[in-house]
Amino acid sequence: MWDIMKTIREINQKIKDGDAVVVTAAEMTAIVRENGAKQAAEEIDVVTTGTFGAMCSSGAFLNFGHSDPPIKMSRTYLNGVEAYSGLAAVDAYLGATQPNRNPDIGLEYGGSHVIEDLIRGNEIELVAEAYGTDCYPLTEIKTQITLESINEAVMVNPRNCYQNYSSATNSTDETLYTYMGTLLPNMGNVSYSSAGELSPLLNDPYFQTIGTGSRIFLCGAQGYIIGEGTQFATEVERKNGVPVSTAGTLMLKGNMKEMHSDYVRGATMPKYGSTLYVGAGIPIPILNEELAQQTAISDEEITCRIVDYGVPRRSKPIVREANYHELKSGVIELNGEEVPTSPLSSQKKALEIALKLKEWIDKGEFLLTVPVEKLPNKGRTVKPLEIQKPRILVKDLKGETLILAHPTDAISEVARKMVQNSINHLPVVDEGNKLLGIVTSWDVANAVAHGKNKLTDVMTKKVIIAREEEPVDVIARRIDKNKISGLPVIDSDNRVKGMVTAEDISRLIGGD
Amino acid sequence: MKAWLTFSPSIVNKAIISNLVKNYDITFNILRADITPKGGKMLIEISGTQQKQAVEFMEKEGIHLNPINKVVKKDEEKCIDCGACISLCPVEAIKPAEDWTVEVDDLKCIGCSFCTNSCPTRAIRVME
Repeated sequence: MWDIMKTIREINQKIKDGDAVVVTAAEMTAIVRENGAKQAAEEIDVVTTGTFGAMCSSGAFLNFGHSDPPIKMSRTYLNGVEAYSGLAAVDAYLGATQPNRNPDIGLEYGGSHVIEDLIRGNEIELVAEAYGTDCYPLTEIKTQITLESINEAVMVNPRNCYQNYSSATNSTDETLYTYMGTLLPNMGNVSYSSAGELSPLLNDPYFQTIGTGSRIFLCGAQGYIIGEGTQFATEVERKNGVPVSTAGTLMLKGNMKEMHSDYVRGATMPKYGSTLYVGAGIPIPILNEELAQQTAISDEEITCRIVDYGVPRRSKPIVREANYHELKSGVIELNGEEVPTSPLSSQKKALEIALKLKEWIDKGEFLLTVPVEKLPNKGRTVKPLEIQKPRILVKDLKGETLILAHPTDAISEVARKMVQNSINHLPVVDEGNKLLGIVTSWDVANAVAHGKNKLTDVMTKKVIIAREEEPVDVIARRIDKNKISGLPVIDSDNRVKGMVTAEDISRLIGGD
Repeated sequence: MKAWLTFSPSIVNKAIISNLVKNYDITFNILRADITPKGGKMLIEISGTQQKQAVEFMEKEGIHLNPINKVVKKDEEKCIDCGACISLCPVEAIKPAEDWTVEVDDLKCIGCSFCTNSCPTRAIRVME
């Protein structure tokens, strides 16, 4: 252990006296590089951090107050967004990702947007339904509320401030719309979400100073850490002392009546859903040389995995590892190609937050806290959810006899094969059974109509495929999304093993 | 300058663009094109000392020219400078400044709308 050089009590005295030396995590990197950790630990009292990212696991407890006659609300809608009301009569929890109940609005105005509107002081329409009881006779209510008119509005976010988070790219040949933003086909871009060297939990990677009860900056208010966040993990790969992927998380709480719309924003990830941009900043007291060293971590020293969202599975393949200096440069090399990168969290706002927190401490408006309990720093892993019904993979589907076409086949021969076997699609393969294209009955009709005789002129060369190891549910979504009726099954050597059709899948689902 | 050129079906087969380059020594860049036998539209960016004469030539040949001024606009109030749009821009018209403010260059913009469709706060709009 390192010698304690200062205590939080001593730092707080300095803050009150106006003598505390406070710097941002970015400034600390340069200070330690220049003067060394020992001198920095003597001179610097507090390092401020910041992040402003899309944090889906956020929401708010609201207490509307009692109407006369009273109502025990069992369903509540705020500007058309449902809040969970399975609590006492006039309490509700509004989740950031809840879509609007009006399907025409849907994801465009969800829970996160209501939270932003509340914080902006805007009027919100409240609709509540109830079953009616002797003590709560009303069964419906429709009124307007504002942040000021309701009793409490407490933001409680079960999982914020991921310690690190993998970047995303997409190897498939179609654009994907994800919670990591829009991912262009063929690894056309990379999206990363961490604030890197400014990120709170990367600056105290073993949670020596952070814990339950720590006072923090939350969306412009003074909020608190109320415990470790959900999906919290400690047993992860580390480089330079910091995790290379998701690890620690925080559960946060703050009074929305004290928040400012500059530091919180409702947003929608296109075709994914609404999410809340949460501004959070945590002060790290520099109690010893080790903390000085840890808060000096630079973007170059923080590794981040880049994973392929083209594989919609729990474990996504890692394309490569990169550091945040590379990611923030705007381009990164993937398989020999220069690929543009985008941050998903605002680096500008992250720094603004770290500076705002510094300003509060400099002015003596914010004092540090000794955590009631530190966050666990070992023994925690994230458990997967096992689906008890065995997952059916493509290879488990009972294949019919495989009918194939070859590029040299005459159109009439292809038509004959289709009619004889009552099928609508035929994979076109080379001598080694490798996929070249697909031909449908429509293509054959098209060939006849236009007097085309060569199969290669009418077949579709860009084929949507299924792999043997993919779950059938994933294929069902692919069929649906691409509006196709079937697709060839391919093994790891690109050989055609069979066909899977929408009928096969509906038969399977119907047979449950 | 950047402009939309509209071709009528009668001139689709004429080699107007190559004559344009040969006779007026201009450089041009096709940013978007959608040409069919029924006519079409092309978004081009042209530059050169004889730009004015080149425009007159195109109009004489029957191309309807519609210059574009402002194309992409950022709503400063809505934008949170997250940067999600940066890597989606095919012509590098969106770049972060030194302090990570997202800056859009409407001269470079080709109006593809990738950024507008992907902006989490709907802060970017393309306008012609």
